[in-house]
Amino acid sequence: MALYDNKYWLLSHIRNSFISTDDTGMCELIMAGEEGVRKHLKQSLDLYPDDEDSEDEDDLSHESYDLQLDTDFPIRYRSNTAARLEKLEQVRKKTSRMKHVKWETNNSELSQEQVDDLFVRKEPVVSEVKQSLFSKTFKQYRMMPSNPFIEFAKFDGSGQVNLQTKKYRIFLTMLPEHQRNYPMNICCIGSAKVSELIGLILLKCSTMYEDYHWKPVTTYGLYITEEDGEVDRDLPCLDARENISKFGFHCLGLVEHTDPTKYVSFDTSESVIIMRSPFNTSDKKSKDISKSDQEKQITTDLHLMDVHKRAMEAPLYKSYKVYMITKMRAKTEIHLGISGEKIEIDPVQKNSKFVLVKQKPINHDMDMIAWCETVDVKSNRTIFRIIYSQNFGSSSAPESVSTFSPTLQTSASFKSYDFEAEHETAEEIVYKISLILELRSSDTRKEYLAAQERRYYKKKALI
Amino acid sequence: MFDKSEMDQVLLATGGYDHTIKLWHTHSGICYRTMQHAESQVNALEITPDKQLIAAASYQHIYMYDLNSNNPNAIVNYDGTTKNVTDVGFQVDGKWMYSGGEDCRVRLWDLRSKGTQCPKIFEVLAPVTCVCLHPNQVELFVGDQSGIIHRWDLKTDHNEQLIPESDAMILDIAIDPLGTHMAAVNNKGRCYIWSLKSGKIDEPTKMNPKHKFEAHKRHALKCEFSPDSRYLVTTSADQTAKIWNTGDFSLRQELKVENQRWVWDAAFSSDSQYVFTASSDGCAKIWNIETGSMEKEYAGHQKAITALAFRDCAV
Repeated sequence: MALYDNKYWLLSHIRNSFISTDDTGMCELIMAGEEGVRKHLKQSLDLYPDDEDSEDEDDLSHESYDLQLDTDFPIRYRSNTAARLEKLEQVRKKTSRMKHVKWETNNSELSQEQVDDLFVRKEPVVSEVKQSLFSKTFKQYRMMPSNPFIEFAKFDGSGQVNLQTKKYRIFLTMLPEHQRNYPMNICCIGSAKVSELIGLILLKCSTMYEDYHWKPVTTYGLYITEEDGEVDRDLPCLDARENISKFGFHCLGLVEHTDPTKYVSFDTSESVIIMRSPFNTSDKKSKDISKSDQEKQITTDLHLMDVHKRAMEAPLYKSYKVYMITKMRAKTEIHLGISGEKIEIDPVQKNSKFVLVKQKPINHDMDMIAWCETVDVKSNRTIFRIIYSQNFGSSSAPESVSTFSPTLQTSASFKSYDFEAEHETAEEIVYKISLILELRSSDTRKEYLAAQERRYYKKKALI
Repeated sequence: MFDKSEMDQVLLATGGYDHTIKLWHTHSGICYRTMQHAESQVNALEITPDKQLIAAASYQHIYMYDLNSNNPNAIVNYDGTTKNVTDVGFQVDGKWMYSGGEDCRVRLWDLRSKGTQCPKIFEVLAPVTCVCLHPNQVELFVGDQSGIIHRWDLKTDHNEQLIPESDAMILDIAIDPLGTHMAAVNNKGRCYIWSLKSGKIDEPTKMNPKHKFEAHKRHALKCEFSPDSRYLVTTSADQTAKIWNTGDFSLRQELKVENQRWVWDAAFSSDSQYVFTASSDGCAKIWNIETGSMEKEYAGHQKAITALAFRDCAV
């Protein structure tokens, strides 16, 4: 008996739903190993346990009768009749395009003329062939290394008839943009493993795109991909050891892993640059100072950890208390809120009536921010600048920005705010914003950098 | 007709138990086309002299495929044989095609006429295993399962019989391009050599037994003379192919790799420097006759390769 207030039943239902709707097979893999937990839950939660435990025995591995763990293909086969009818139809279509020559016994004897015409005695002629075209080209190409993926040729399913095959549209993400717009069509035999499918794809690729350097099979992963070629980066790649018939997808993306040991690793163009300390290189030389080296190594590692942590935390929201320097060189205390999405400038509410310039709250989308840098370091304070553009992106309060601009230096499209804060805070803010900008790599930033470069060259030219 | 690229003129086709015929780039080992041969295995393959079509002998049919298109299906179907067609070949100008089958018949198919009339048929008492056309283009040598070699004169319809060995099937017959030697192999691995003496106009070729040797320990499946008549290749169920010097029929090379299983078919390059073999391990192989080493494998078939066709040209 199953009721919706039966916790065990509900749990079981959820588990089944997970397993049956997850085509990647990940849920199944994870949940298959939880028998102990499940038994325990059953004892504690199931209000109406089945008395016949023996019946439950073989049910253990898969809780529902229509779920067979890992044994069958997810496709339901058509009935024999339908399949046979379709086959007949295909044969009929095929033969209609074929010319048929039927053997007919020839009753009338061939006339002498016909015989003389058809059967002409020829003197055997042997032309001395010094070198054949085949030998020539074969010798030319003999020194060429043979294709490393040739062993995967036997998994090609194209043209196979009495064999189950699977067709795929493969998007090759590593190719230059103009070449990867169209997926490659691959037909693979149904019994191949994912790694063998990758090998077959690489074999095709290596003949089609000869100038690209193709790496070993293990470097690549197949990812579930949209029809338009957008690779789904949230899911792990298909397990290379699994049989391809296990997965029901027809659109896949071939992705080159930057680190083959890692399961999921995309090559992101925005990488965090970590300064390597010089200790790493020098520690090989001297053994006597190995202890201090070790310590240094630890500090370096700690430093690296810290850098990494900060990089990870960069897009998280954090608010700082800093002073904003207005046009009139006056300082207003504000809260500077920074997150991966935007920068907020909030004036700290003061009761004082003697505020020279009243600062309004401003919001800037992160896409509008172009740059952040330290401008001046004073004895106890650091001044830093945030450069932004009004032309890009959308601001949540465009009017407020345009009406009130506390900029010191204005260019055609870029404006800036100057702030003052304690050394550490300023440093942290600059680092945080720089990291976010680097990660986002917005158009504004690119534009700004390009403008800077132009200006630099102009200056250089003038000198 | 001659504006095709150079590579098109070197053609290697293989077929076998996986119901496909594959065409290969001979220098790279890449299969560039797969044709479907759905109904049966491929018993024999032959390319027409003009290199436009390839004929595949199969169960009850001979199918012709277009070599110059991407059509994976056959374009002509020669129908009417009741059992397996075991061998197929062409007259040198492509006027007619000959075929032999397990229905004990050798047929000639007129390739030029618009009608479907077949000009000739030759009946023997046992299933035909092989048919070989003499370079003079008017005599067919037919081997059958009872061990008889029939010489069939196409002009006069006369025939004569040779029985090299009783209780042995003739599995293949070959005649060298000069028309001076004929070789036949049987299921006991023996190879028989006759010297041929061409008669004058319309006189039959005379056959004189010349040599007999144990080529293989098991079935010998195929024999073929090299274009320069210097070598004879025999292939066998003993997992080897052997190259013999035709001067004294001494062994020149044994072509062997581990686990290649039955070697079914062989073909020489036109300068007699290389030989292709087709074997049950699903790979075609190219061997250097000088060194006896395998130089490349053509892998891609799912099952055994039983037939191979190769056309080369001189430079």
